[in-house]
Amino acid sequence: MSITKSAHNRVLPGFGLTLGYTIFYLSVIVLIPLSALFFKTATLSWGDFVATVISPRVIASFRLTFGAAIAAAVANAVFGTLVAWVLVRYRFPGKKLADALVDLPFALPTAVAGITLATVYSSNGWLGKYLEPLGIKVAFTPLGITVAMVFIGLPFVVRTVQPVLEELEPELEEAAACLGANRWQTIRRVLLPSITPAVITGFALAFARGVGEYGSIIFIAGNMPMKSEITPLLIITKLEQYDYAGATAIASVMLVISFVMLLVINILQKWSRRYAA
Amino acid sequence: MSIEVSGVSKQFGAFTALQDISLTVPSGELVALLGPSGCGKTTLLRIIAGLESPDRGEILFNGENAHDDVRERQVGFVFQHYALFRHMTVFDNVAFGLTVRPRKERPSKGAIRERVHELLKLIQLEGIADRYPAQLSGGQRQRVALARALAVEPKVLLLDEPFGALDAKVRIELRRWLRRLHDEIHVTSVFVTHDQEEALEVADRIVVMNKGKVEQQGTPDEVYSRPASPFVYSFLGTVNMFHARPQAGQTASTEHHSVGYARPHEIDVSRQDPGNGAIAVTVSRVLPLGAIVRLELARVDTGGLMEAEIPREKHEELWFTTGEQVYVSPKNLVVFVEDYQI
Repeated sequence: MSITKSAHNRVLPGFGLTLGYTIFYLSVIVLIPLSALFFKTATLSWGDFVATVISPRVIASFRLTFGAAIAAAVANAVFGTLVAWVLVRYRFPGKKLADALVDLPFALPTAVAGITLATVYSSNGWLGKYLEPLGIKVAFTPLGITVAMVFIGLPFVVRTVQPVLEELEPELEEAAACLGANRWQTIRRVLLPSITPAVITGFALAFARGVGEYGSIIFIAGNMPMKSEITPLLIITKLEQYDYAGATAIASVMLVISFVMLLVINILQKWSRRYAA
Repeated sequence: MSIEVSGVSKQFGAFTALQDISLTVPSGELVALLGPSGCGKTTLLRIIAGLESPDRGEILFNGENAHDDVRERQVGFVFQHYALFRHMTVFDNVAFGLTVRPRKERPSKGAIRERVHELLKLIQLEGIADRYPAQLSGGQRQRVALARALAVEPKVLLLDEPFGALDAKVRIELRRWLRRLHDEIHVTSVFVTHDQEEALEVADRIVVMNKGKVEQQGTPDEVYSRPASPFVYSFLGTVNMFHARPQAGQTASTEHHSVGYARPHEIDVSRQDPGNGAIAVTVSRVLPLGAIVRLELARVDTGGLMEAEIPREKHEELWFTTGEQVYVSPKNLVVFVEDYQI
């Protein structure tokens, strides 16, 4: 009642229409397919469901997928912010090119990325052959999975932090300097808190992308059960065995975990923006 | 702490922002740098602050070279758009300069709290220590910015168009408040403005700048009533110009051109021709503006526009009406001979 009433008082019409469209769109695109997932899962008995999702192989895949996605998102939050900083603050030859390069992981088919990464990091690849003697194996290990997730998640952090950095007034740094803050204090107490909300958003997007990534990872992961098998692959395996209910069971658990984590990140994000009126 | 600017020049690419500027700000005074936009006043202020370095010349504080590093220079700087730290409360903003000090010099938490509350009291915003800048009005934000700058007990206070982003009413309130504040704390202050009224009202001394040079410096009264150049004359208030034309029998000089200047209130208006070379004009508008009445006039001979201001009593006595012809003569004509420019 109060919603419709206030809607009538708006200057711009269309509240009812746009809200209706939003709900319809979200239902068709997100809600209905996802509820179908849960309905399919519900065909399992509770015992079967629990047995499926806590089987050691599934638990190992959850641990790997979420662990690697978090590690990759953390790496991207740090280095993506750095890339955004360099792209915003400095002028150098080839800057436009570097800027365009950031978006490449968005555009590249994930399989291409996976094959390329696997080739480069395999024991006789360009990078792998130097890393292997140091005892660092990337391809066909959990580390490789993280590398692939870092690759596909990079643009998210860069593209969310970049506009915020561009809008930061240079006066803030000058004000801090006039007040006696050194460079490090200015970064830690003035600049970083200002971009934290954007970094968290980028982190959340990169994390979500990493959790859902399939195409590029299966080429570099090696896909050994219990060791380097990600959850999406496990779901595909179940599907190939016509175990649809088992596949959806794993998928629903994954979905719930992702949803809770994104919710927590969103709350964190809101808290980091508490100063905005 | 006095400030001395000596022979400062600054170039941005091909653009000369400042050209051999020298001036002195005596200790404890409030000085206005006044000029049109692009005249170099903000650049000069930033050079005094150490945010910009001069190409030539130097800045002396109390006769000693000011520190090169802005952090060591101990200036308080107030920005036009406040530059408050958005993610910090008012309290943390004001306390910032104290909390970033090296541990040895940093006051205790209690001392910082006391100092911040003292400053919030000074800016009359005691109740809002826990608010964020986004929750304040423009005038409040600028006062917080001022308190933040004062917290570190700066040697000099520099304000860059401090009231420029505020609406007219708040601006007037805040500049009177700044004047009172300055009378209380007496820190040597320089503020930049393009608003002559603001400069005349607030400052002890005014430095008028144009095109990277100082045109004149002096008390508000000096620069207003004895302008040193045609630029100062026209920048500080409205002015009527009387172009001298070569009379019969005189040789017309082609290179020099003399112009007489008189302010609107320095114009005598009468119905009868006083016979001393008064100019015939027609009254095109009569604007009663409170204590004074402004007459917009058009010269009969050239059609050139003039303005005269007469006291209300005189207007009530003579009652000029639109369209009538009257005679004007300047009471106080200042003549400058300038290079002839087309």
